[in-house]
Amino acid sequence: MLRVDERVEVSVDRGGEPIGFWWRGAGYLVKSKPIRWFARREWWIEAARVQRGIGAGVLEVEMWRMSASSNNKDKAQYELVHTLDTSGGQKHIWRLVRVYD
Amino acid sequence: MSGFIHLNVASAFSGHFGVTRPERMVEAAAAQGIQAAAITDRDGLYGAVKHIGACLQLGISPIVGVNLAVLDDSGNQLGRCVILAHGKNGGLGWAKLCKIVSVAHALPKAIKKQVGIARSALADLLRDEGGCTVLLGPDSDVGLEVLAANRSGAIEALEAWRECLKTPGTLAIEIVSHITEPGTELSVLQARRMLQLADATKTPAVLTNAVRYLEPDDALTADVLDSARHLEALGLFKPQPNAQAWLKPASMMQSLAIEITEDRDRALELFSTTAKLAKLCVLDAVGDCDWGRPKTPEKAALGIEGNPFEVLWQKAHAGIERFYPRANDSLLTQVKHRLGQELITINKLGFATYFLTVADVAQMIRDMGIRSQARGSGAGSLTNYLLGISGVDPIEHDLLFERFLSVERSSLPDIDIDVESARRHEIYRAIFKRYGSDRVTLLSMQSTYRGRGAMRDSGLALGLDDEQIDEIAKNMWRFSARSFRGALQTKPELAKFAEEVEQDRRMSLLVDITERLDRLPRHISMHPCGVILGDLSLLRRTPVEQSGLGLPMSQFDKDDMDPMGLLKLDVLGVRMQSAMAYAVREISRVSGKEIDLDAVPRDDAATFRDIRTTNTLGIFQIESPGQRELTGKHQPTEFNDLTIQISLFRPGPMKGNMIAPYLDGRHGFAKPDFIHKDLEPILRETWGVVIFHEHVIRILNQMTGCGLARGDELRRSLEKPRIKPQIETFFRTEAAKRGYSKAVIERVWSVIEGFSSFGFCKAHGAAFALPTYQSAWLKTHYPTEFIAGLLTHDPGMYPRRLLLSEARRLGVKVLPVDVNFSTDEYLVEPITRKTLDANEPQIGVRMSIRDVQSISDAEVARIIENRPYKDTADFYLRAKPTRRTLENLALIGALDSLAAAEVTRGDVLARVRQLNAIKNRKALNANQPTLDFSVLESLPTGNPESSTQDRVQAELSILKMDVSEHVLELYRPMLDEMGVLRSDELVGLRSKTEVLVAGVRVATQTPPMRSGKRVVFVTLDDGVGCSDSTFFDEAQSRCSHILFNTRLLVIAGKTRRTGVRGVSLMAENAWDIRELWEQWVNKKKTPLAG
Repeated sequence: MLRVDERVEVSVDRGGEPIGFWWRGAGYLVKSKPIRWFARREWWIEAARVQRGIGAGVLEVEMWRMSASSNNKDKAQYELVHTLDTSGGQKHIWRLVRVYD
Repeated sequence: MSGFIHLNVASAFSGHFGVTRPERMVEAAAAQGIQAAAITDRDGLYGAVKHIGACLQLGISPIVGVNLAVLDDSGNQLGRCVILAHGKNGGLGWAKLCKIVSVAHALPKAIKKQVGIARSALADLLRDEGGCTVLLGPDSDVGLEVLAANRSGAIEALEAWRECLKTPGTLAIEIVSHITEPGTELSVLQARRMLQLADATKTPAVLTNAVRYLEPDDALTADVLDSARHLEALGLFKPQPNAQAWLKPASMMQSLAIEITEDRDRALELFSTTAKLAKLCVLDAVGDCDWGRPKTPEKAALGIEGNPFEVLWQKAHAGIERFYPRANDSLLTQVKHRLGQELITINKLGFATYFLTVADVAQMIRDMGIRSQARGSGAGSLTNYLLGISGVDPIEHDLLFERFLSVERSSLPDIDIDVESARRHEIYRAIFKRYGSDRVTLLSMQSTYRGRGAMRDSGLALGLDDEQIDEIAKNMWRFSARSFRGALQTKPELAKFAEEVEQDRRMSLLVDITERLDRLPRHISMHPCGVILGDLSLLRRTPVEQSGLGLPMSQFDKDDMDPMGLLKLDVLGVRMQSAMAYAVREISRVSGKEIDLDAVPRDDAATFRDIRTTNTLGIFQIESPGQRELTGKHQPTEFNDLTIQISLFRPGPMKGNMIAPYLDGRHGFAKPDFIHKDLEPILRETWGVVIFHEHVIRILNQMTGCGLARGDELRRSLEKPRIKPQIETFFRTEAAKRGYSKAVIERVWSVIEGFSSFGFCKAHGAAFALPTYQSAWLKTHYPTEFIAGLLTHDPGMYPRRLLLSEARRLGVKVLPVDVNFSTDEYLVEPITRKTLDANEPQIGVRMSIRDVQSISDAEVARIIENRPYKDTADFYLRAKPTRRTLENLALIGALDSLAAAEVTRGDVLARVRQLNAIKNRKALNANQPTLDFSVLESLPTGNPESSTQDRVQAELSILKMDVSEHVLELYRPMLDEMGVLRSDELVGLRSKTEVLVAGVRVATQTPPMRSGKRVVFVTLDDGVGCSDSTFFDEAQSRCSHILFNTRLLVIAGKTRRTGVRGVSLMAENAWDIRELWEQWVNKKKTPLAG
């Protein structure tokens, strides 16, 4: 398994499921139905504020796991983090966090 | 698939698990248009009654269950399950649920700390009749086997459950997905496999969301509650996986079902099974929970035969002769007429048994020889007076029965009985014994997070240092933690912390989560005075658990009593009653005089003269700084004045500005304004000022002819903005019909309207005034015995050392701690006269050893048991004090009398340290003379006598009391040089004189003010009395750093005369005496240069 933590550009379908992403200059196409779940963050280490009404984004992130491949590579499993953070208009931040060969 | 009923919902009453209060949860469910809502708190039905009440109010159906740990027969965990009561079965399901919860709280001793029910016990309870459904969810043993992908293990575990719960409808599988990482707990995968297991075994399956908060945002609060539950900082335990445990709408539950089943039909079926179970569990509040139907002990339990009303009629009438022995005919007629009317009302309401029950308890308390007294509106009832429940004559004091009870209301009335606090547990036990533990339980109380508590647990969650938190918490005064961040900007004492919040991210988080925790339930405990008296159905209506006292306690709190039709009797421990009982006992013990406090005439001139001096420390209800000031202005001369004064000094009358007009009228500064001659008889006692609820009731009755009972209903409704306009119309129309002029109506209405929430029930005031008068009487005539009672039972708001100061002022002799004479109480001790001076006191108060720092109860008992001691070594050997206690006792002079007269305190201390240095204490053996006793006997000599300063410091640190002399005396040279005045000199000064006062802080108060601005009152004691200083905004910010915490203060300010004997200070600045002292001493040391 390869741990990375890099910002990626993601295309999603109308239901919000990723269908492809750009990473290190290459385009990747999703080859399987992506699996989604919700994981948590340690807000007591990261967050500046947690006042009432700030929203669950401080605590929770959306995770996606899928098989994908680009032109010149074999299929592999990729894990993306989709941050639902609502602060300052940065609604959709996608990061690639893990790659399983 | 419209609407989804959540069947697993933990509310905030789930011991640090749920986040949302049941009322809010129900409102949200109703807003989603759902027909039923469930509550399933952890370990109990703590929120159930509130839940049902909220459901009834919003017109949706209540469902109630519990979330419990289940154990197998060897005590192994089988995980947590939700158990739901079936409804509409005549209370069968509800009773089973109550029983299940009660059993879960009564695990055998070995596993006591834990709440849980053995599966076999659960099976026994549900075997024949069913009555509940057990849900096996992801937290159950079955769920865990499924998670481990152990299919045969899961089937085996489920089989064991099915074997136990064979009755149809008692078992179902609960499918939950919080969409966690695949393969982990609460993941879609676990849910899918649970469903497959259910289908394979033909077990019904229902969908829930295992809800613990209303909205995703609340998940942050849930994290903090988890930390409080685990008693560990965030990051040190496994946190919740994400923020999915919220009350999701039907559409989202639908998507979840489809994601789990991957099959639309199966999803539909899951929904419909869930709805079916919900329907089975809908409770009928009246039919199932006996909602709102008053329950009192059966006749047999009260030892009465025949018609309860006839018994009550006879008992009450029998009281007439006893309480009105010398009444003339007109009074007797009045008494009989009034009693007749009261009894008719009581009979109409069917409360005869209730009154007989309370009378029975009151009689039992009297038979135990314990002082007791009814408080509250119950004192307005002649029936209560004649039954011996209340000690205040409602006819003499002009109190209204209708304020207490009327046919316009059917809720059970509240009668509160104040008793000696030190003996209240005896009373509880006696009540259990008398009525049986199947009819009696204690009442519980949910404490909620408030400012400091919320901050402490927030600090714990963030892993902050305890001391740091304590430092900040100390400065949290009088504001709701809900608006903590706002308070940072406005409160000078928080300025330093506000800066830290700016700079330190963690401090900023601390503020945010403290705000989140505020007002949430914190933990359940025993209500300090509530006892529930019911009939034999009681334990089928309420679950019980053990209280700290060892007696069973209901999981319902006081707000749940009325809805559940339960009768709550408040048997409130009042320390003043203990202190007074103690004083009476000491009078009898030392002088042989027997005093019946309740029979003392209530017009003793000397008592009122002493009250008027404003030296009211130790007197019930009127010892606070504000009450002392008011006493100075008011100058009470009779019992009714005390009733009025106590009622005036409440937030309402203070906000409503009732005090000044009343005092003006009383002292003849203004002519009383009764508005109309018809109101004069009603308002004469208060010079035209409306103070009491009784006033409003009578005015409404006088001007509209509505009757007193209806008058009280109207008065109550004045507080409801929705109904107020109707009352106004009624009042204006009816009063006009009776010929009152428009101007009069206008003025009276504005008074009544402004009054609404301000007034006080006169019966309350009169009931309070009784112990006020009695304690003042004791203080006047038996000061030594009274001070002994106060020191022993500590009833007041002030530290004990102030009582000593007051004792000195009164000329009461204080005798130091002495191991040969002191006990665990403050005894009154005869003193042998040394002179012929008749003024020399013959008795004194012997200080107790109980309050020596770090002394244990066992040590106290040993010291008392082995008396007398002939010398220090003897004490050391037989009383076996710990090293620390021995040294403490020596330091405060408690061993002085064991040494010869010429031995100094220094010698005694040296001796004690010598003894403490011995490694192994020799056991005293009667058969074998201790050989090295001679070593013990070698007495060190030549050590210096300790100074008064050292003694006072030792006394303060060990006893928290300055026994030898007032602590301020140490600083007297400096204070004299500064020109600091003594508090008793203030009364002779003109207004606006600039002065300095000094003393020990005895009280800090921030009472509510009309303007809404905060004012801080600081009271100092300087040994001759108390001075009161007021800090307004500017002065507050000038000395914010010492305003709340510094103990010894010098305050500069201007005098402000407030009445004949009243003077207070408008503070301008304040300093810490010890800082001033250091500077002063240094200045003395340094010779002046040039």
